[in-house]
Amino acid sequence: MTVLPAGRTLVRLGPARLVVRHRPVLAGAVLVVLLAAAVVLGLSLGTPYVAPADVLRSLSGVGTPYDLVVRDLRLPRVVLAAAVGAVFGVAGTLIQSVTRNPLASPDVVGITQGAGLAATVALTGGAAAALIAPAALAGGLAAAVVVLVLGLRHGLAAHRFVLAGVAVAVALRALTEVVMLAADPVDGIRAQLWLVGTLAGKGWREAAYLGVTLLALVPVLLWAGWALNGSALDDDTARGIGLRPVARRVGLATTGVLAAAMVTAQVGAVDFVALVAPQVARRLVRAERPPLLCAALVGALLVVLADLAGRRLFAPTQLPAGVLTAALGGPYLIYLLVRGRRKVC
Amino acid sequence: MLSTRDLTVGYDDRTVLDGLDVDLPADAFTVIVGPNACGKSTLLRAMARLLAPRRGTVLLDGTAIRDLPTRAVARRLGVLPQSPLVPEGVTVADLVGRGRQPYQRWWRQWSAEDEAAVRAAMALANVDELADRAVDSLSGGQRQRVWIAMTLAQETEALLLDEPTTFLDLAHQVEVLDLLHRLRVERNRTIVAVLHDLNQAARYADHLIAMRAGAVVAAGPPREILTADLVRDVFGLDCVVVPCPVSGAPLVVPSLTTSVRPKGSPCVAESSPSSSPPRSVPA
Repeated sequence: MTVLPAGRTLVRLGPARLVVRHRPVLAGAVLVVLLAAAVVLGLSLGTPYVAPADVLRSLSGVGTPYDLVVRDLRLPRVVLAAAVGAVFGVAGTLIQSVTRNPLASPDVVGITQGAGLAATVALTGGAAAALIAPAALAGGLAAAVVVLVLGLRHGLAAHRFVLAGVAVAVALRALTEVVMLAADPVDGIRAQLWLVGTLAGKGWREAAYLGVTLLALVPVLLWAGWALNGSALDDDTARGIGLRPVARRVGLATTGVLAAAMVTAQVGAVDFVALVAPQVARRLVRAERPPLLCAALVGALLVVLADLAGRRLFAPTQLPAGVLTAALGGPYLIYLLVRGRRKVC
Repeated sequence: MLSTRDLTVGYDDRTVLDGLDVDLPADAFTVIVGPNACGKSTLLRAMARLLAPRRGTVLLDGTAIRDLPTRAVARRLGVLPQSPLVPEGVTVADLVGRGRQPYQRWWRQWSAEDEAAVRAAMALANVDELADRAVDSLSGGQRQRVWIAMTLAQETEALLLDEPTTFLDLAHQVEVLDLLHRLRVERNRTIVAVLHDLNQAARYADHLIAMRAGAVVAAGPPREILTADLVRDVFGLDCVVVPCPVSGAPLVVPSLTTSVRPKGSPCVAESSPSSSPPRSVPA
């Protein structure tokens, strides 16, 4: 009976009727397989090397000699990497959709810098280690509130949101440098290290925290996935079909910056994941806007691989995942420039 | 069905419409004309609740439009803005499907009614063969028909269009206007459009509203109100109004200006407007 636009299927779940697009489902399935492979690889590589078969046996819980390495040492970090990437992917998708700008990401709209400043102040001020993440969260959220309030004056129009974000970001970065320069050099270096996102020394606690964040986001994301459909329309057209574009933008932007602040507070700035993941996902599904779930999967895949590369490329020297993703980001930006087509999300 | 009472709209410190009372007849094709920046688009956008008035109200069948939920309004009133942004890569069927938004919820994203409405709208606007094409790959005329199809999928009694013919060539302009005319005649839709071309307005409109400087100068059937005096009042242009040889509607022919006057042409434009106004031929 139903002839939806091509490439879609109507799914009936009790009283609910949801339109499911084929390409994102297909791409999502492929990404899940790739992510699983990357996770196994992440658990397998290192010293000592554990064969993938042994990794799987250890994960299945039969009890192997590798349980300590696989389950206790490597698994928390790999899971954390996946969670970090997923949250960044979601945050980037929401922020890029609201700003209609493929270059927008949490560090363009000031959240990273807000978290960075707060973390720097806490670190150089001699705060307890347990207080760094809450301080960073507060800083990121405060920056987000300032950016949203500044951006709201004209209905959170795309350019205004970006401009407010860039202004706040620059001011906060300058303040951070002042604090660092004024601090004890050792504290300054610790702060610098925090600013480059890393997963080293982190594990279940942070992963659990992000897992809860993701779970709390699920209902919001269900709504957002639907709300994003109207995001590519201009405001007049959107109002004409009964949408409330400003309310939507505020809702989507708030969700995005909240997610970005949460994850940045835990692991620092893992650059470019939020920037790249939505765009890669969008190209995979050939949609007019980045798909949320696929962007989350691409983000997870990126961070798992980046963390793995950071651990192994120059072993035993370990590079923070944030350095690797930043190194990937440069070429990606050049690619976007060379492609030359201005993409609107 | 749509009317305004004491409607006052402005941007920042500029007042565009000041205390306007307008009544749009139901089941009619109303065309709003006027010079650039006279407030005709502002009036249309305010009536479509795209702009919030500073003072006064827009009434939809007697109820203030701002007291109605925007989704409910979208089921009664379709709007086509002046130059809507085409989402990149979106297909025709997808865009037309967006017109069903006011009938959908995130847990009820598609129904048999949606399906039927989208099919009917695409057939009516003659874009059903383009269903799987990307909208940004279409010509201007096709694109405009797709946008109209989207508003048709909303299944509203009234349709408000802001300069729907502006970027189209003459053949496509006629095509779009014929479509609107058919909607009025065959489907009893109320159509309201802002147009630039007075002659098209005169041919298609049942009700003409002429605006200047944020005020309505005249309103009524084109054959009754469209005179050379009105054109001079509204546009400051000297002209002759004759019956159109094809439709019999008033046809506005601008007077010759000295710069384009060929040898031996009649000298209507030579006399100054104050001493001898151009002759007006009632239709």
